[in-house]
Amino acid sequence: MTLYGFSQPTHWNGQELPRIISRLFDVPDGHRLEVARRHGAYATIGPALFDRAPYEIIHEVAESGLRGRGGAGFPTGVKWGFVPRAPGKPVYLVINADEGEPGTFKDRLCLTRDPHLLIEGMICTGYALGVRTAYIYVRGEMLPQICILNQALREAYDAGLLGERIAGSRYSLDIFVHRGAGAYICGEETGLINSLEGFKGQPRLKPPFPAVSGAFGAPTVVNNVETIMAVPYIVQHGAKAYRRWGTEKSPGSKLFSVSGDIARPGVYEVPLGMPFMEFFALAGGLVGELLGCIPGGSSAPVLTAEETRRATMDYESLSSLKSMLGSGAVTPFNTTRDPVLILQTLTRFYAHESCGQCTPCREGTGYVDRVLDALIDGHGGDGDVDLLKSLADQYEPMTTICAFGPGAAWPVQSFVSKFRPYFEAYIAKNPQRQRTRDLAGVRPGAFW
Amino acid sequence: MAELITITVDDRPVHVPPRIPLIEALRHWAKVETPAFCYHPDLSVAGNCRICLVEVIGPRGAAFGIACHMQTAPGLAVRTQVSSERVRWARRGVMEALLVNHPLDCPICDKAGECTLQEHYMTQGRHESRLPDAAGKQYKGGPDHRFVDTKGQERGGKRIDLGPTIVLDQERCIVCTRCVRFMDEVAKDSQLAIAGRGDHAYITTFPGQPLDHPYDLCTTDICPVGALTGKHFRFQQRVWNLQRVESIDPSDALGANLYIEYTPERVWRLMPRRNPEVNKSWISNRTRLLYRELAINRLTAARLQGRDAPLAEGLAAARAALAAAARVALVASGHCTLEDNAALLALAERLGAKASVFSGSWLPLGRPDGIALSGDPVANRAGLRLLGLADNLDELVRRADEFDAVVILHHDLWAADPAKAARLARIPQRIVLAPWLESSVRQATIALGIRAWAEVRGTMVNCQQRIQVLQACPVLPDPELEPAWRVLAELGGLSWTSELEAFRFAAQRAPVLAGLSYRSIGPYGRLLPQPAAAGVA
Repeated sequence: MTLYGFSQPTHWNGQELPRIISRLFDVPDGHRLEVARRHGAYATIGPALFDRAPYEIIHEVAESGLRGRGGAGFPTGVKWGFVPRAPGKPVYLVINADEGEPGTFKDRLCLTRDPHLLIEGMICTGYALGVRTAYIYVRGEMLPQICILNQALREAYDAGLLGERIAGSRYSLDIFVHRGAGAYICGEETGLINSLEGFKGQPRLKPPFPAVSGAFGAPTVVNNVETIMAVPYIVQHGAKAYRRWGTEKSPGSKLFSVSGDIARPGVYEVPLGMPFMEFFALAGGLVGELLGCIPGGSSAPVLTAEETRRATMDYESLSSLKSMLGSGAVTPFNTTRDPVLILQTLTRFYAHESCGQCTPCREGTGYVDRVLDALIDGHGGDGDVDLLKSLADQYEPMTTICAFGPGAAWPVQSFVSKFRPYFEAYIAKNPQRQRTRDLAGVRPGAFW
Repeated sequence: MAELITITVDDRPVHVPPRIPLIEALRHWAKVETPAFCYHPDLSVAGNCRICLVEVIGPRGAAFGIACHMQTAPGLAVRTQVSSERVRWARRGVMEALLVNHPLDCPICDKAGECTLQEHYMTQGRHESRLPDAAGKQYKGGPDHRFVDTKGQERGGKRIDLGPTIVLDQERCIVCTRCVRFMDEVAKDSQLAIAGRGDHAYITTFPGQPLDHPYDLCTTDICPVGALTGKHFRFQQRVWNLQRVESIDPSDALGANLYIEYTPERVWRLMPRRNPEVNKSWISNRTRLLYRELAINRLTAARLQGRDAPLAEGLAAARAALAAAARVALVASGHCTLEDNAALLALAERLGAKASVFSGSWLPLGRPDGIALSGDPVANRAGLRLLGLADNLDELVRRADEFDAVVILHHDLWAADPAKAARLARIPQRIVLAPWLESSVRQATIALGIRAWAEVRGTMVNCQQRIQVLQACPVLPDPELEPAWRVLAELGGLSWTSELEAFRFAAQRAPVLAGLSYRSIGPYGRLLPQPAAAGVA
């Protein structure tokens, strides 16, 4: 099993780097309960948690400003607040470990190195939300991680940290691991719930939202692995301590998985708000001359080199650049790369992974992919670049059930507008590029 | 009805019922034509075709929403294609996406003329393709059925035999999942599924399993494109040549509403007619295929002692036989309309004291299937009760020796119970009115041909006590054929000129019918007051 390692200094540029989630990442055998306990795991499981009322925990997490780390960045405390007070049904907690965003590999490392922090976070969250049964939905390909997770769960059950009456309290929680089948769309929370229930992994119509009617028709909270792993720290040290890192609107730290043209690719935990260029230096420095950077997983609109230089790693800076922090997968690429081929990889991925429900996304992603393939094969014609953009525009503005459509459109729109000369160069190579019709400009005439 | 609320559609206030799908409110209350492929009023909402997109005006500005999934609520404000260029743009995009991988060969498609995709293309679509030739199409189809055509293009699945009734063209499918939801939710037998993902998704049955549900032909009605076609109608007739009349299922006491679709030459098919209170949008395969009997095995003239004769001769013979008889039994039929049975009663009245009227059926009762069949094969059983007729066919068998003549109105008695029917052969004159060459005709001394259910105008009362109208389809196996009520009226010497007179006569016997007309009954039928339990003999 080869994994990007975890090796980051304790300090960088005179500033201490946070180790909220990655505390045990470089501890040998940190995934074993005894080792983890020696390093302070499960410190919250006891009076620190059970002597407080559940709503205090929710309040504390809301105060901390913790935002979902799966990609959308939705405030976690707000999400928890949507769960009805007395639903009359069980409340389920589902951990989304279906990490499928290309370029993202932080959750995989989390499950490998510190599954007990996840379990601890789930106990805290479960207690706050009144959950009796929780699920961890793990991507099917992560077989070694599932083995590690199952071993950790066994250890936790044996130590009385799971099951009936956790650590002598009146709170009970069972955790089940559910193995997915490797579909990207099962990372969408309602698609995940469908898959968990045994149906085809296709997102559901909203409303009702999962917090009201999710898994098995009961209120369900779906949270990313990393989000839940930040909860024990907040419970133990308080919202204020968590807010020591990060910015006003993006508090705390985040794991970033960096790959691409970088000297030391891997996972790093840094405070939100760090400039990208400083982060690249932390990861050993860029290789070659920067051409552009995908800042938050493949769906995030690409940044040009110039934009990357002024961007910082937080939600508000990237949204001001019309991109997003997403899952924290940073992929810088240098001038030796061809943005057209990078986009082709992405469109092929989205055409393959579209769940096949909504028309614009189902047919549109494949359409874009075929037009781009033809362009790269030397069959591009005048107007094809605008055609690509115009096709992606059709499934971008939430004309679909879930956010897959926009997520698939953003890379197309941004690559085409920011690296247009590279696309034009392909078309220029085609001697028969002249189209008899202006395809992008076609507008329907009135029929009557 | 609940109180109406006000929503805003294209900046104008519209009064609509609360909590109904917005698409219904737009279509029926705001009168804004709203296209849909996946939405069907009698199925759950899938929301996947996206063609019914509208703009919802919320506190944070306008956002797209689908009209089929949204519910009407006070204060809801939407913009449709009428006022929003963005909605028109989005719908054009959806149409383009639907058509990019759909075969563009409408002229050779069986669905052309009644294809939802074709219709919406004309109203919402683009009118030119933007698909570069080099990009090519991704036709839908499973790996078992894909092939390369003579032009070198890879194609999807064509002409796939799914079972006894249906042929599938996977290429034409637009993955709306209506058929899948029908099988899951209505038929409750999940025989169809979508396999694959993205634009590789295609509709299929499970490996080695056929599609063979008694209602599976309903999937061909709800299929918005030419993917699912019924073997009975596929490539038989262009739908724009068809005319249609409203009728009901004559073979079951629920009286599922349907259309008879015909050309001047013949009836081509029966299609379900939506009635939310009776059969929703469904009819059983058995009902649907009833039209095939309309042209075969018909009694088109009279038969005297087994010899074919013109109708006029048969009528004269019957009149003479009735005049000669001292005691006459008349058998009313639940397979005929109220009008026909009223004419039988009028004949009995004319014959005076020597006539006795019987009715009933020996056909076995089935179970209701919860979709469009009640299980009772006697369609107008409630109508007979309404006319005050008791289920006393067995009494006729007991008293067979008392009668010199019997008039049997469209009953397959010798097939239903040969042992009991054999005793009826003791009656010397057996006058049978029948549309088909059924067993009673073979046992008759005088048989008179009449029009079948599809060819008459009249009413029947279904098992819910709902009176429903059958309209006459003007396709006759023989132009001389008359409806049963007219034959019976002539036997009785009545000068009735229309079924309305028969209906008025029925209203004398059944006062709940007083004041009703075919128009006031309407296309969905009209619920009559339930009979008092003790009142039924």
